[in-house]
Amino acid sequence: MGRIVKPYLGVVLAFLYLPIGVMILMAFNRSALYELPFTFDLVWFKALLSNQRLMQASWNSVWIATINAVIATILGTFAAYAFARFEFRAKRVLQLLLFPPITIPWLIIGTSMLIFFFWTGIGRGLHAILLGHVALSLPYVVVVVGARLASFGPQLEEAAATLGATPMQVFLRVTVPVLAPGIVAAALFAFAVSFDQFVISYFLAPPGTSTLPVEIYTAIRKGFTPEINAISSIIILVSMGLMLIVARLYKFGGDQA
Amino acid sequence: MNAAQHRTIAIVGLTAPAYLWLALTVLLPLCAMLYFSFLTFSPMGGHESEFTLKHYASFFEKRIYWYNAWRSIELAMYVTTLCLVVGYPAALGLAKYVKGRWREAIFLLIILPFWSNALVRTFSWTMVLREPLNLLFTYPAIIIGLVHAYLPYAILTCYISLQAIDDALIEAARSLGATQAQAFRRVTLPLSMPGVLAAIFLIFVPVIGSFMEPRILGGKDAIMLGPIIEGQFNAAFNWPLGAALSFTMLTIVLLIILAASPLLRRQLART
Amino acid sequence: MSQFLISRRSALALMGGAAALTFNRLPAHAAGQLKVLNWQGYGTDEKWALELFKQKTGLEVVHDYFTSEQEMLTKVRTSPGIYDVVLMNNIYVMEAAGEGLIQPIDTSKITNFADLTPSLRDSPRFVKDGKHYAISWVWGLTSFAYNTKKISGQPDSIEALWDPSHAGKVGWRDDALESIQMAALATGQDMNAPADMDKVKAKLQALKSQIKTFWSSEDEWNKYMAAGDYDIAVYWSGSAARSKKAMKLPVEFVVPKEGAIGWFDGLTIAANAPNPDGAAQFIDFMVSPEFYVRWDNEVGAPASANAKANAQLPEDALNRKVLGDPEVVKRVQWMAPVSEEQRQKNQEIWDEVKTGFAQ
Repeated sequence: MGRIVKPYLGVVLAFLYLPIGVMILMAFNRSALYELPFTFDLVWFKALLSNQRLMQASWNSVWIATINAVIATILGTFAAYAFARFEFRAKRVLQLLLFPPITIPWLIIGTSMLIFFFWTGIGRGLHAILLGHVALSLPYVVVVVGARLASFGPQLEEAAATLGATPMQVFLRVTVPVLAPGIVAAALFAFAVSFDQFVISYFLAPPGTSTLPVEIYTAIRKGFTPEINAISSIIILVSMGLMLIVARLYKFGGDQA
Repeated sequence: MNAAQHRTIAIVGLTAPAYLWLALTVLLPLCAMLYFSFLTFSPMGGHESEFTLKHYASFFEKRIYWYNAWRSIELAMYVTTLCLVVGYPAALGLAKYVKGRWREAIFLLIILPFWSNALVRTFSWTMVLREPLNLLFTYPAIIIGLVHAYLPYAILTCYISLQAIDDALIEAARSLGATQAQAFRRVTLPLSMPGVLAAIFLIFVPVIGSFMEPRILGGKDAIMLGPIIEGQFNAAFNWPLGAALSFTMLTIVLLIILAASPLLRRQLART
Repeated sequence: MSQFLISRRSALALMGGAAALTFNRLPAHAAGQLKVLNWQGYGTDEKWALELFKQKTGLEVVHDYFTSEQEMLTKVRTSPGIYDVVLMNNIYVMEAAGEGLIQPIDTSKITNFADLTPSLRDSPRFVKDGKHYAISWVWGLTSFAYNTKKISGQPDSIEALWDPSHAGKVGWRDDALESIQMAALATGQDMNAPADMDKVKAKLQALKSQIKTFWSSEDEWNKYMAAGDYDIAVYWSGSAARSKKAMKLPVEFVVPKEGAIGWFDGLTIAANAPNPDGAAQFIDFMVSPEFYVRWDNEVGAPASANAKANAQLPEDALNRKVLGDPEVVKRVQWMAPVSEEQRQKNQEIWDEVKTGFAQ
């Protein structure tokens, strides 16, 4: 049983990275239209360096996604904890309310946010974008952390409580470490949701500022050159590097007691 | 303060921040949309509007809406099933058979594709699917693109659940005489249901409204409810109809999940 | 918790500080700025043009984009006092003026005004009560283009799109209005009010064996043409010029004997524009030969409403040779505004046709 696991995982990873590989390859291809045969050229990376707008947009995306991940993870983890450890009447309704952000097409959410923020004076801007991103990330966080909590059960926490720990101590010393893989995964999801979020950013961004997905999607009107591939490749490789560092610093998914 | 009040404060304190945020940014705006869906004309268009149910009625009356809604549901079922069929074993393998640094590394590698831009990724698929697979602009191409996009959700949520299962439980079952298959079916699978449910929620629901992968990969086969709703907003400027279709879809999805949940709750109860 | 090398609190503080720095680098709403709302890559955001304009006027131009005309209207409606210049297809100008979204333009500020083609410049779509609510800027045609390496001999009829020898190699745009207009042309009807919609629908359904896939942007069109998915495809004249010149694709634009769809765009000044004088200067620059000739020559553009500018193009330029040819212009049917009911009907018919394609 154990012996097919590694090859199977290898196949799955190959599938996941197939288009990523192509995307990175095309960043080094001279043709602007992904034409083959492949000719190696760094022209798009050079163009990227002088593309202030794209660089600034990417930077904005990273910061927004990071702040979004922090806020959404904290808010969502608390809510997930309440759902997992308590029974109360409103619970069903609250859980159902997680559906709309994921079900309703983002175009509708974006349009309604634009109108609503306009009416209430919140307006467009980076604050509006952040408001929207966190809202869209919350269901993911709640669901992911919730799954972790459900699988673990309250036994460890109850045990710690009977041994004399205060609720706060139980939370910090037992619950959070146990939840850690779930929290980290949720944060990474939240980051991804925000980083790739186009519609909300598009509607709520003030003129002159932009995020990376917005640049990419609006560029399709004219033709996005493989500078997009170049920046996407850089992002993937930088993320890979960051993740390896995180893995070194913080061992998660490790052993249960 | 007694224990019950303590408890209420705890519940409110834990859920309020998230839900206040959701209410302000998503739920209230959607209420505005819900209101629009009962109007005859789009707001801000300079027309006088009246209350009407005709947009909701057209979902049932016009084949283009309910038929394409069904197409979207069908697509979502294929994609979700495939993601679980491929992803659950991968999660199981990762959680139980891979140890140490490798496990973290692979876990991170699975998350990484999320951070690539979906549009660029989908265009990259057009290259792979064109040659040598020759599948481009067909229905299977849509499925491949969507499975690729959502597979990490399945793997990760199942992994998180599976990895929480204490190996001691499985060993106990084995020592009591269960075969590997029996231990899996009676111990592992039920305990990992929360992860499976999470996967279903995070995959089935968004796929129904998807429009990008169908549009780019599906060619003529691309018509689904997502693009139709989009068309109401972008081309026809008929927000009430677009909103009505969306909320109808939301209701159907909720009904499906609610109908399926007694089945799943029974699974959970067995643990 | 001790597993973190740096404490969580200082990490958060670092991020907050850095974020504040980053956000401060973003352009603020400064004086000496002009905000333009347009399609991306549609002339007003050409880097060299903006530099020229800044040299002349000291104004820095900042852009916001839209990807559909409905979205343009939504953005204008929900952003009062933000935009200066807004591009509008002529069929929306009167609607926008009626809603008070745009202001009348003082034409004495437009030095090139006299050179604009009168039929476009003073079109009732732009002028109300003697006031100009938009300055006509460019115009173009929607028809089709073909790959000269794959198809020998220029097709002269719109039926080429329905030609079985091109089955599975035809490109089409996923747009209800355009599709119905093309089918109306092909069935010899008035495209703005086809008498026989059943015939139009049947004509569209006949495309099932022809279409390879839909395109929805110039970029996709280029990619599919280059990859060989398309041999012949519906397209816009300005975009065809760009694909040929900038993208070096072997394509030719055709205006068949049945005619083509004509459209024209105007530049408007938003009501409550922060800088209406600057806006007028920008519009004047955009209709000037100085800008236009270089735009068409270096990048590719639709035809200019400024006859003088058009005349300065090289002889073989598409805009001069084809769109400047009065015989061709006679075959053009011009787009008219569409009522809400008709728009909805069109959308339904098109959705039905597309559903039929998928079965």
